[in-house]
Amino acid sequence: MQNCNQAELLITGIGVTSAIGQGKTAFSSALMAGQHAFGVMQRPGRQYGTPPGASAFLGAEIPALIYPESLSKALLRTASFSAQAALVTLHEAWEDAKLAALEPERIGLVVGGSNFQQRELVQCHESYRDRACFVRPSYGLTFMDSDVCGLCSEQFGIRGFAYTTGGASASGQLAILQAIQAVQSGQVDACIAMGALMDLSYWECQSLRSLGAMGSDRYANEPAQACRPFDRRRDGFIFGESCGVVVIERAASMMRPAVPSYARLTGWAVGMDGNRNADPSCAGEIRVIQKALQQARISAQAIDYINPHGTGSIIGDETELSAIRHCGLAHAHINASKSILGHGLSAAGTVEVIATLLQMQASRLHPSLNLDDPIEPSLNWVRERAVAHRINNALTLSIGFGGINTALCLQHDAE
Amino acid sequence: MNKDDVFNIIANHSREIIPALAAHPFQWSDQLAELGANSMDRADIIMMTLESLALRIPLTALANAKNIGELADLLHAKLQSS
Repeated sequence: MQNCNQAELLITGIGVTSAIGQGKTAFSSALMAGQHAFGVMQRPGRQYGTPPGASAFLGAEIPALIYPESLSKALLRTASFSAQAALVTLHEAWEDAKLAALEPERIGLVVGGSNFQQRELVQCHESYRDRACFVRPSYGLTFMDSDVCGLCSEQFGIRGFAYTTGGASASGQLAILQAIQAVQSGQVDACIAMGALMDLSYWECQSLRSLGAMGSDRYANEPAQACRPFDRRRDGFIFGESCGVVVIERAASMMRPAVPSYARLTGWAVGMDGNRNADPSCAGEIRVIQKALQQARISAQAIDYINPHGTGSIIGDETELSAIRHCGLAHAHINASKSILGHGLSAAGTVEVIATLLQMQASRLHPSLNLDDPIEPSLNWVRERAVAHRINNALTLSIGFGGINTALCLQHDAE
Repeated sequence: MNKDDVFNIIANHSREIIPALAAHPFQWSDQLAELGANSMDRADIIMMTLESLALRIPLTALANAKNIGELADLLHAKLQSS
């Protein structure tokens, strides 16, 4: 893809909700301090059975959402947990980018993720199992992920477009890529990309565990130790609830009073492995990294920070580091946001871009938890403590089941 | 069960779906739409009422009710004939 307007694409607003904090200030502070929230999950519908055969899936859950006064109580009342997280997170980004000053017809929304309200659906099915004829009619609307598009567009008056896009654990970054294209093509002046909160039920937790994707057998009794991307003793990803929103605009079409931008989007790529399964492909990851760098017109050497996908998967982490090394990126600073946040699945790609932007803004890199014995010790890891570092060019990566790979290059706006 | 009982069930479910109606003094002439219930809310309120009454009828059978009083009348009649 030839990018003729690479200097003009900016991120002008962000919003984030996670288990370690709601809002960019709380989120950034917790990231830098390495404050995690892992434990045995407590949200209704996350565990099954009764002791001693009960499940005890580990994860990081949002303690309680904080609702801005301006959000419609009527909308929130019928919104799923994913949708409530979407509304509060979009509210932050909307205010941040001052989107109220734009024409509603010139604003679009891409919600990244598919089937992200699973726990809510299971709760409903179990509640109405023996009285299906009385299931709430509103379920006919709310069971669809696109309900989040409807809710957000009603609350914020979005009149351009709103749709969902799915790419498994790359959904959040895929939404950003879609938003870029919508802005670049002139379809809208500003496009909101959201990584939706994946609300897993115990069914998904169990199957992901059985698949070997989700940990943790090894650290079942030590939740704080369980999430350890790139460490030799990792045994799978640990789930973490989150939702992220970024606003993308072209500098040339920003008609309102100056809104500071977080970064410039300089290169991006998506590519498939031609593989329906869960296993990653080094060749596929290399391809998107190289394409993104080429589009950004920068050398691998110019990348000074990588926010990797890094889930804690046995094979996924090794494959990703091989791709990074192959692309000549071994020199770049690297840390693992998921070691603190957990894996947000559909949200991860957006939330990790936000983590990158906030580190760029702070000229500081957050630590990586539990990286006691890195599988590639020679890389430039940020380990126990945050370090000062000015990011000029960052690379963020996402990978998803079904052979999807995405890569995104972000440049400091002052570059 | 008399008509007042049916009316009160509708009112209670309306309060459940729309918490802002908690202190509203429901009248037989009240219209759910005017009380702030959108089409989805109205369908939910009626379905919850049908469950409370253990009535299995299609929602379309109640489409002609113009206010809560008429809805209570219709539901009461269905109860009598069920």
